[in-house]
Parts: sequence; structure tokens; C-alpha cells
Amino acid sequence: MESVQIQQASKKDFDVVGKKVVRAGAVLAVLGKPSYTADIATGDLVYVKAVRSSCVHATIESIDTSRAKLLPGVLAILTSKDIPGVNDAGSILSDRPLLAEKVVRHYGEAVAIVVAETHQAAEEAAMLMDIAYTPLPSVTNPNDALKPDAPLVQERSNLVKHMKIRKGDVERGFSQSDLVVENTFKTEFVDGLPLETEAAYSYLEPSGRIACVCSMQNPFDVYGKVVKILGFEKAKLRMIQATTGGGFGPKSDETPIDVAAYACLATLKTGKPALAQFTRDEAMIIQCKRHPFIIKNRTGVTNDGRLLAWQSELIADTGAYVSKGHLVLGRAVFHCTGPYEVPNVKADGYCVLTNNTIAGSTRGFGSPQVHFAAEVQMDLIAERLEMDPVVFRAKNILRPGTRTLTNQRIEDPGLDMCFRKAVALSDWYHKRKQYEQHNKGTSRLKKGIGIALLYHGNTLGPESGDFATVHIAITPDGKALVETGLTDFGTGGMTSLLMVAAEVLGLPYEDVRMSRPDTGRVSDSGPTVASRVTVIGGRATFEAAEIIKNRLSRVAAERLACSESSLIFRAGNVYSNDKPERRITFRDLVVEAADRNVELKSVGYYLAPTTNWDEETGQGSPYNQYTFGAVVADVEVDTETGFIRVGQLTPVYDAGKVINPLGLLAVCEGGSIMGTGYGIMEKIVTSEGVIMNPNLHTYWIPTILDCPEIINSSTVESAGQIGIFGAKSIGEIPIVLPAAAIANAISWATGVKIREIPMTPDKILAAIMNVK
Amino acid sequence: MRKYSFTLNNEPVVVKAPPAYTLLEVLRNVLNLTGTKDGCGKGECGACTVLINGKAVNACLMIMEQVEGSDVTTIEGLATDPLGSVVVRAFEKEGAIQCGYCTPGMIVSSTAFLSRNSKPNIEETKEFLRGNLCRCTGYSKIVKAVIEASRG
Ligand code: FES
Ligand code: FES
Repeated sequence: MESVQIQQASKKDFDVVGKKVVRAGAVLAVLGKPSYTADIATGDLVYVKAVRSSCVHATIESIDTSRAKLLPGVLAILTSKDIPGVNDAGSILSDRPLLAEKVVRHYGEAVAIVVAETHQAAEEAAMLMDIAYTPLPSVTNPNDALKPDAPLVQERSNLVKHMKIRKGDVERGFSQSDLVVENTFKTEFVDGLPLETEAAYSYLEPSGRIACVCSMQNPFDVYGKVVKILGFEKAKLRMIQATTGGGFGPKSDETPIDVAAYACLATLKTGKPALAQFTRDEAMIIQCKRHPFIIKNRTGVTNDGRLLAWQSELIADTGAYVSKGHLVLGRAVFHCTGPYEVPNVKADGYCVLTNNTIAGSTRGFGSPQVHFAAEVQMDLIAERLEMDPVVFRAKNILRPGTRTLTNQRIEDPGLDMCFRKAVALSDWYHKRKQYEQHNKGTSRLKKGIGIALLYHGNTLGPESGDFATVHIAITPDGKALVETGLTDFGTGGMTSLLMVAAEVLGLPYEDVRMSRPDTGRVSDSGPTVASRVTVIGGRATFEAAEIIKNRLSRVAAERLACSESSLIFRAGNVYSNDKPERRITFRDLVVEAADRNVELKSVGYYLAPTTNWDEETGQGSPYNQYTFGAVVADVEVDTETGFIRVGQLTPVYDAGKVINPLGLLAVCEGGSIMGTGYGIMEKIVTSEGVIMNPNLHTYWIPTILDCPEIINSSTVESAGQIGIFGAKSIGEIPIVLPAAAIANAISWATGVKIREIPMTPDKILAAIMNVK
Repeated sequence: MRKYSFTLNNEPVVVKAPPAYTLLEVLRNVLNLTGTKDGCGKGECGACTVLINGKAVNACLMIMEQVEGSDVTTIEGLATDPLGSVVVRAFEKEGAIQCGYCTPGMIVSSTAFLSRNSKPNIEETKEFLRGNLCRCTGYSKIVKAVIEASRG
């Protein structure tokens, strides 16, 4: 195996990486031909619809299909008994059946599927199913679920995981503190809500293999589960990612497994191509949500603003099945103090089962909740200390040489750089004065400005399995084809990989293409989660490209009569650095290499270093590197209506070496708005476990009118330790801070204390009334 | 099954569809014109926006009786229309696309808007596009693209 060396970011000039690459044809690609799952589905289709539980927690006494079966067009009705393989659709833990067997544990859980000739027939038949339930006692409040006499959601303790941090001596820290501040924060279930709902289309190939096209983030995860559900040997199934209309976490979790399995079971049963797609309300009921957290933060500080002790208790409601709840809790606990050095920390996090909707992967993965609680806590302390929040933070931020709550040493100055830049760009000190003046002169429209900071451990870290595989093949026309099971769903991650391949091979960006992720063509590439495509996938791409470059170098050195080490690959040409007139085009070189039977296909593999920490104390280094960020929010509060207008957001991120600047900017803008929605609008309303607002007219996501007038995004570059060319993660991160920055701005403008999101007008108004 | 006649992308068409089928279902399932997207089926997201007699409407809310005899333009027809193609180019240039699922509806709405207001400002643009949801871009590039398209 040829070995490769990653070059240091700062020392190299790049031709493609870091340049503004427009995804040419991106719009036409979407408009020009069918590309999303349901668009592709053709032929003599059958439609699959799940029959869902109307109960929150109940025993299934009987399932009577007789009325439904009689409906014209109904081809089959399948229950858990008809699953040929294993009835398991849990993504990591096998705790969730594809179709409920004896018990349903949450509202909307699937009990059967109907296969019919038309969508309408499938829907009608689903309504004609007679299922008898006997209700069981249910628990929908995580605090109640932890009580000893609580009803059990599964045949196990409702407490799924208890995570601990023990650093220093927190009690001594409190006793040495001049001030101890304690607050309880609450966040809600929200829906990632990709605009395309979950969809899968399956069909029989002539060989007898089933092919399944699906809207998803992780083809290999879905493949691995569906193969088992079907009871197939591996070669009898192939999973292909269609163009995917948004991911945001839910499409990396369990619902893509559901739709893929529904469609494949229908194809297996009928021999016909099948389409399974969630309706919007179904998606909003079933899709995994962001975990609601109850977070108690108790913090001790000295009068001059040094953090001495931090104690957190975090309770995460993961709903009826664990999904990724235990991992979300891990990330939450590992970031619960915010990006500050605190000598004494004690944290206890609990991931709890309830009979609520399932919470799982959602963009940010536990980080938005804890950063909201930590960053609002920081402002509440600053207020008590009568200190400017910027001054207070500056005394405590993670700088090189400081240590996190897990006692991990921070090596790079990214946070300080972001912090300074955000303060300068937002004109913080001047605005504070200006708004203070303004607010004295007005009683209705108050202006505020608030700040929040973050750190975000990169890629999977403690969630493990942090690897990527990328294949590259050079085609006879001298272009490169990059293939991987990593995916893009609007994130621009694949563009970054193509840029890395183009950079290494010295090709113009246009000469590097990508194929659709297909488990039949590539090897397991690891999941597309945790903002890891550029950082980890970039390393695998680099390796694959280097292998080919090295092979081509041997041919070129002979042909140009120069040393391999003197060769430069650039802009579609290969030449000797010593004698630049000795050159050959990349294309001619490929032809020559092919004549000599040089293998022009490669597989690049990268596995991130394993991270280590102690289970009992949480001490160690859970992540290989950290992304840092700062966001300043300018808001206006209408104190008569409680309505918030976010005028400007100033997000500054340290994404290390920026590979794809346009992609990064796009992700920042989109994430900023999603984070604003999280802060001031979005909430899945439940009543005893039943979702009351599974639609877009009562669950509000930001529209074009809700956007801040200005999003002044920028970056600083402080190289990461493992990412390709020093890159750090960014995909999920812009969602994290807006809620906290907006909350802090509102509090400062009005004097209200905010400890819960979303900050909807009714809540703001009630809080203002309280202050008065 | 019932028969419906209307004009689609400048061509007369006659389709057979079950009663109570929506225009969105006819376009996608009967005519295989899949450019128009289904994001909610309830008039809440704008992904299914088409033009009926030049006006932007949600195809998922139009039952076929209402479409009978009218002039329908979908994204497939707009992409080759002079103004439509200017809008497409502007979306490309500004990078006003991420996952692309909202994009056909956005382009149809934006074209309808620009055909009536050739010199729009940012407020007017936002007001017109308020029914088109996008979960990815944060909208600012979409606004830029529409303003850019209005400049030709
Ligand atoms: S699909 Fe018609 S408005 Fe959403
Ligand atoms: S680009 Fe994904 S919804 Fe708009």
C-alpha cells in the first residue's frame, strides 16, 4: 500500500482548494431530469402505506385485516409476522421493531403495511384496518419516567444512559466562589424537517437482486438493516442514494430504514416496483426529533469574573426508542460548560425513555441545547457581576494551553480569533452604548445585542467508527470519477471532495465528477453524519488521489526523463519543476499509462485516531479537534406584542482551512436561519404523547420574511489537527448559537430572563409583564 | 376516470384522471412531469408552485375541475421560457440552491413575480415569496438571485 503524507495547510498554495467553485449546472440538474426518489419511481408501481398506532402505549390485542383486504386494489397486508428476516429497524441498538409485535410504545408507531395498486387504495385500506388495543399506563415526562414506580416504556429501565464528568472538586470550587448562580433551562422537541419527506423506491433487477433508491444520508446503514429485515444474503440487495431533498439528521436516522424496508418488502411480496413515501404529517410524527433537554446549571465565579466551578444536570427525553439518544447525550455532556476553562466540573447527563415521539439525530446533535443553556447562563452571571458579557467571557475562554471540562488540552487559538472578529465586526461596544441610549428614549421598540460562543468536537469521536472510503477511477478521457458511499443532500460536502481530488491530481475542477452513491459499486464509506465529509472524507479522497498520482508519476518521470520528485501536476498538465518545457498533458499521460497497463483505479481509506476518555470521570480527549465559533445577534423587541425581529446575525467560525468557501457560506446562512427558527419559532407540541401540530401551518419554520436582514458571516482559519489540509467541521455547527445569542440580546434589551426556547411572542410578552 | 382538457406548457392536453385528483397528482403521476415537487400536499410549502393563467398557485390545492380549460405552465415549460431561463441562470449564478427540493417552486414563483414587477425591491420580493419554504439556504441567496434576474 502506498503511503501518503498530508501536507500542512499553511505551507501550500492551492489551485482549487479554498477557491470559489460554483456548482455549475446545479439548478439545471435538478430541473432537467427526474432525480429525487419519487420522480424516478416508474413502471407498474405498487404503493406502500404504514398503518399506525393511535395509542401512545398499548398492547395489541388483535389485528383484523378482513375489511381492508376486500378493498379493490389492495394487494397485500403485512404485519410483523410476515417479515422474512429480523424485525429490527433500530439504527444502532436493536430496540425498535420495523412493525410493532405485541406492544406499541408511541403515537404513530407502525403496526402493519398495506401494499396497493394506487396510493389512494393504500391509504383507504390503512383506515379500514381493525386493530384492537388495550391501553397501558404511559409516561411522557422524563422526570416522571425516572421515578422508581414509573411505567416502563421498554422491557428495561427507562434510564438508557447516565454520563458523568468529574473534574477537580466541584464543592470546593463552589466554596471558594464569591458568587454562585443557578438556573434551569428547557428546550423542546423540534423537527429537522427536510423539505422532501422520506421516500424509497425499489424494483427487481433481472438478476433477481432488489435495487432500492432512497432519500437518505447513509446508504450503508440502511442497506445493512434492510438486508437483515428481508433475510437476504448481502449480494441480493443494492441501495442507491437518490438526490436527497434535505437531511438535517432525520435522514441519517431510522426513518429511511423504514421506508426502504416497506418498499423492498412490497417488491419481494409482489415482484413489482414499489414506492413508499411519507406524507408530511406522517414525517412530522415519525421522523426523529431534536431531543428536548432540561438542564440545570450551577456556576461559581470570583468577583473578578473567573469561573471556578460548574455543575450541570442534563435530562434528555429520547422518546419511546433510543435511536441515537445515548450518543446525543454524550455530545451534550462533553460540551455542557460551553467553550470555557473551568477547573472544577461535575456533570450528570441522563438519556431517558418516555412514550413520546422518538428523538434522535438532528443537525447539531445535542450541542444546540447545551450551548443555549451555557451561553445564557454566562450572560446571567455577567449581569450579576455587573460585567460586560464580552469582558466576562474573555477571562474564561478556551485558549491554547487551557483545558476543557474533560481536561483535554486545547492546541489552537481558533476561539479567540472568532471571538475578537465577531466583537469587531458587530461593532459590539459602540452598539451597546447606542442601543442603551435608544432604549432610554423609547418604551415600545427596544433594541438589544447579544453574543454567544461555541466549541464543537469534530466528527464522530466518542461515537466511534470514524472512517471513510473513497474510490477514484481515471477515465480514458483523462478525467477523474470519484465514488463513495458518503453523500450530499444539499450540504456541498461532495463538492469539497471533488476539490480535494482535483487539487491532488492537478486537474481543473470541471474534470472531476462524482457518481451516485451505490452500495453495489463502492465499499462501506462510513456514515454521512457529524459534519465529517470534508474533514474525514477529504483525507480518504486525498489518499485515493495520491495513489493514482504516484502511479502516474512513475510513467511521467520516465517519459519526461526527470525525477518523480520534480514533477508538478497542475491545471491538466504534468511537468518537471526543473525543466518546465518537459511536459505532457494529464490526458496524454493517462493514455500512455493505460497502454502500459498501469492500474488507474484506487481506493483511499482513512480512519481517524481513536479517542479516549474515562467512562467514570469523563476525563480524556473525546474529540480529535474542535471547531470554534462566535455569533452576535442584533434584535428588536416589540414590548407590546412580544414579537422579536432579528435584524442582524454576525456569525464567525473557525472551520480550519476552508476547502469550499462558497459551500461554507451557504451552510452558514442556512444554519443561521435554522438556528433562528430553533430560538424563536419551532416547537413540536405534544399532549400526553400525541403530536398536535404535524403540519406546516401550526409548526412554523422560518419563511423568507423571518430572515434576519443581514447575515454577516465570516471565517478565521486556525488549522485543525486531523482534517484534510487542516480543515475542521462546519456542516451542523451554524445551527448551534443563534438561539443563545438572540436570548441574550432580548434579555439585555428588556431585562427579562429567558431560560426556555422557543422564545415565542406569548412567552416574551408574559415575561415582560412579569418584569413590569 | 374523468377527462380534463387544458393547455400545458403551451400545448393542448387531454388527460384522464380519477375525480378529485389534484393538478399536482396529474402532473406527477399521470403526465410524468416530475419537476413540480410535493412538499406537503396541503398548500403549506410552495414546492408544487405552477402558473395557472400566469398566476402562481399551489398545484396540490387545485382539483382538476378547477384546472379545466386553463393555461398551465410548469417548471418544465418555464425553464425554456425567456424570463424563466433568466431566473434559472440567476439562481445558478448566486448559488441559490442547496438540496434543490424547493427550487422548482421558487423559480416558478420568482418568474411569476418578475413578470409583473420588473424592478422589484427586497421587501417586495420577500413578500411575494413568503409561501415558498426553503429549509436549506436561509433565503438570502434566493432574494439575491431574484434581484439579479430582474436586472437581466
Ligand atoms: S406541496 Fe403544495 S404547497 Fe406544499
Ligand atoms: S434548497 Fe433545500 S429546501 Fe431549498
